[in-house]
Amino acid sequence: MEFSEILCVLMFMSFILLLFTGFPVAWVLGGVAVIFTLIGWLVAEHTDLLADSFYTIDWAYTSAVVDRIWDVMKNWVLVALPMFIFMGLMLDRSGIAAQLMNNFVRLFGRVRGGMAVTVALIGILLAASTGIIGASVVLLSLLGLPVMLENGYRPSFAAGAVCSVGTLGILIPPSIMLVLMADRLAMSVGDLFLGALIPGVLLGVIYITYMLTYAWLVPDGAPAPEHVEPITSKAILEMFWAVLPPAGLILAVLGTIFLGLATPTEASGVGAFGALLLAWANRKLNLTVFREVCEQTTKTTAFIFAIFLGATAFSLVFRGLGGDELIEAFLTGLPLGPNGIVIAVLLCTFILGFFLDWIEITLIILPLVGPVIANLGFDLVWFTVLFAVCLQTSFLTPPVGFALFYLKGVAPTGVTVAHIYKGVIPFILLQLAGLVLVFIWKDLVTWLPSVAYGN
Amino acid sequence: QGTAEAAEKIRWKVPVAFGTNLPALGDNIVYVADALKAASGGAVQFKVFEPGKLVPPFSITDAVKDKKIEAGYTWIGYDQGKIPSAPLFAARPFGMEPWEFTAWWFDGGGKELGEEVYAEHGVHPVLCGIIGPETAGWFRSEIDSLDDLKGLKIRFAGLGGKVMQKVGASVTMLPGGEIFQALEKGAIDASEFSMPAIDQKLGFDKVVKFNYFPGWHQTYTAFHFVVNKEVWDGLEDSTKALIDMACTAGVMRNLSHGEAIQGAVIKGFGGKGVTAGRLPENILHELQGITREVMEEEAARDALFKKVYESQEAFSADYKYWKGLAYLPRNF
Amino acid sequence: MTDDIRTASPAEVDHPDDHDRLHELLHHAELPHTAFSSNLDRQVRRLGSWASWIWLALVGVIVLNVTLRYVLGEGRIEFEEIQWHIYAFGFLLGLAYCMEADDHVRVDVVYEHFSLPTKAWIELFGIFFFLVPFAVLVLWYAVPFVIYSISINEVSESPGGLPARWVIKAVLPFGFFLLLVATLSRLSRVTALLFGWPAVRPRPGKNTVAKG
Ligand code: NA
Ligand code: NA
Repeated sequence: MEFSEILCVLMFMSFILLLFTGFPVAWVLGGVAVIFTLIGWLVAEHTDLLADSFYTIDWAYTSAVVDRIWDVMKNWVLVALPMFIFMGLMLDRSGIAAQLMNNFVRLFGRVRGGMAVTVALIGILLAASTGIIGASVVLLSLLGLPVMLENGYRPSFAAGAVCSVGTLGILIPPSIMLVLMADRLAMSVGDLFLGALIPGVLLGVIYITYMLTYAWLVPDGAPAPEHVEPITSKAILEMFWAVLPPAGLILAVLGTIFLGLATPTEASGVGAFGALLLAWANRKLNLTVFREVCEQTTKTTAFIFAIFLGATAFSLVFRGLGGDELIEAFLTGLPLGPNGIVIAVLLCTFILGFFLDWIEITLIILPLVGPVIANLGFDLVWFTVLFAVCLQTSFLTPPVGFALFYLKGVAPTGVTVAHIYKGVIPFILLQLAGLVLVFIWKDLVTWLPSVAYGN
Repeated sequence: QGTAEAAEKIRWKVPVAFGTNLPALGDNIVYVADALKAASGGAVQFKVFEPGKLVPPFSITDAVKDKKIEAGYTWIGYDQGKIPSAPLFAARPFGMEPWEFTAWWFDGGGKELGEEVYAEHGVHPVLCGIIGPETAGWFRSEIDSLDDLKGLKIRFAGLGGKVMQKVGASVTMLPGGEIFQALEKGAIDASEFSMPAIDQKLGFDKVVKFNYFPGWHQTYTAFHFVVNKEVWDGLEDSTKALIDMACTAGVMRNLSHGEAIQGAVIKGFGGKGVTAGRLPENILHELQGITREVMEEEAARDALFKKVYESQEAFSADYKYWKGLAYLPRNF
Repeated sequence: MTDDIRTASPAEVDHPDDHDRLHELLHHAELPHTAFSSNLDRQVRRLGSWASWIWLALVGVIVLNVTLRYVLGEGRIEFEEIQWHIYAFGFLLGLAYCMEADDHVRVDVVYEHFSLPTKAWIELFGIFFFLVPFAVLVLWYAVPFVIYSISINEVSESPGGLPARWVIKAVLPFGFFLLLVATLSRLSRVTALLFGWPAVRPRPGKNTVAKG
């Protein structure tokens, strides 16, 4: 093993280990980059170990991180990120989810498992409007969990449904994760949105199918309510009115992107404006709301970009030591075919997802494996969507599963961690099933972009 | 291994501005690096890093200046915001023919001017590649007059972009990867990027059907191997000579490759429903007039721009006698 | 698997709003405050809170840009550039603001089980070996980066783009400088806990998060 390769391995291992100290990920990444620059520099100054290689690095080399940060600063595609965050937070405040819940329950509540289906439908609508996982899970928990529990739903089933449906927003476009992925792999955001749409909705449909099947097989797991109002034309009309605002917003955002009326950046700003109008129309808009949404947008954007900045320093040094080539050599050297390599990468991602969350994996791992997979001849949009589905499970897998943790925070008493863990297992399995489907039928991803381009 | 006994050992990371998978636009540095390695018996080696892997394409010159990296291969027109005269060395509207540019660079004082301009920024530029005119852009509909350009949302780079803006188009600078999607979805109406073989690789021909010529806004596109000046000055003469030779060979090979692959692509346009059109001469004359205004404005703003511009104009004025007489008219 | 994976429970959340509940759920180490940290934090918070209004401005600029482009058929490169200027300003100033709120992402699967002093030791080492070296590196090289931009009077590389590039470039060192300021405040809280210096100052209000 070359000395530079040893340094690469050490660098990656230290990063993983140091993460578990609990010190903020962003600074661990940046700090490890500095420490390994120091090591690389000392080795190059005092020994011949790196002499014949391309992999000498010094302070000047690592200072290119400034140019890389500058590139992040002037990246107009990423402007969409804070706008989608703003939109999600504002939507969270607009009260439309509560309206949807009230109206949907009246229609679907009579069916066995109907309330779970209601939560799923609202989750899908929220996901297609924006998709801030924390906000979605909290909202769905507060709205859906008490209703389901009151009606005798099993806590584990109800919790699992809320958690998994709440995470759909990261996959169903618009999604800040997909924006970040497209940027890192130099792909079109629109392509990735289109590619992820069918798999995302498919997962939603799989969830709903499971919920209905579960309610049918386990009658007392998700019973129909005892007292139901009859469905009236008035109820249908009211539901129609409740669906209209989010549907309009989805049309404004996704529609304009897909129909080519706007770039994702423009759509994000217009969507944020739309969410603002909805909140205003629902009389939820005041100075406090404004300020809190803005402040939270700053914080959420900042913690994502802090990791971005740390990761860009990390990748620079890792790459400078030959890390890219090492990863490529390792992956292509696996005694597996191209499909086997993809499966291996996804498996690793799934396992990493237990401990890390999507930001680190998207910013560190994806740029390392993406080009290798593309070189194997795979469609990069397809692979990235697979990767995204895989990352979606990371929200649900303990010990670090953000959806679990948000749910736990707001769940009514009586819903225990055991319930939550037990409840999400079937949904994680369903997600893996979705992953397999997308793996086998590439068309699920590639069809929509290809139709859009009218080939 | 006898040839390289005295050669100093060079191991440089070389970031590039365009993917090496792009014919003529990006692959030339691979030729140059391979040639150097072979000619030096392995002493001089570059490791080419794809765009953005080390430093962002727009920051290559900056990074070289600060010795963050020893050298890079880029289109120095990207330095437009920092070094106003830079685009003149890289591409300009109603500029020279490619071989006229190399004549100016090697024999008309261009090289010295380029080195002078960049010395102030601690960079030594070596002309290392050139390709012929770009297309005048990909359009959704026919262009019959300047009015057809007014109000168009168009992706256009460099000095040509300033001209387009004066014409009344709304000019935007999308990153290469977003152009296709933006064109396809109508977020922009038109775009230029490079030569037909390269544009085809990006798929423009699939979504917009009018490809206009001639490439008035970039009559040549030159690429430079930029080396940190201190590093360059510290090189042994033999190494400098090696790099100069490899780059000069690169210029010829790049021009040849670029010329070789366009015809077949344009020939195939018919089968794809693409119309290759020429902008009417009256439009070109109007554009030339506006270009002159833009150039004079820039010259008034920056002394070095003026110096380089005047040098080019003076060279072209003389060259014109030869150009007008010696070559067969283009339609022969 | 224990039940207490997170300390916050709904009963402790007295604010009725979902939005704040979401915020409450983030995991924070309850380090003590010092007079020094309270002062610095107040400034950072004020600046961050003030800077946060720019997201409204960003919405406005994008909507204006879209309107100009699609209604009046007129695109302005300046507006496109203002967009990323605002966004860059927002996330760079946010670094310190987020630090003050202790909202930066941690992998707390092990961390949450540590005692407060252990967490403080981790914080101390992390600040010295990771955060400060990284921030200093960026700051060290970002300053000449800005000075160069000023010295050559750099403008946008796009035709019709914004002048005075150094202004937005200067936000980079400024953001990291603020981050170091917020770090200093946090450091004083860590040393207050570990070494009793500077003196701990009791802080009014039971809850450091719902300051909105
Ligand atoms: Na979404
Ligand atoms: Na997880």
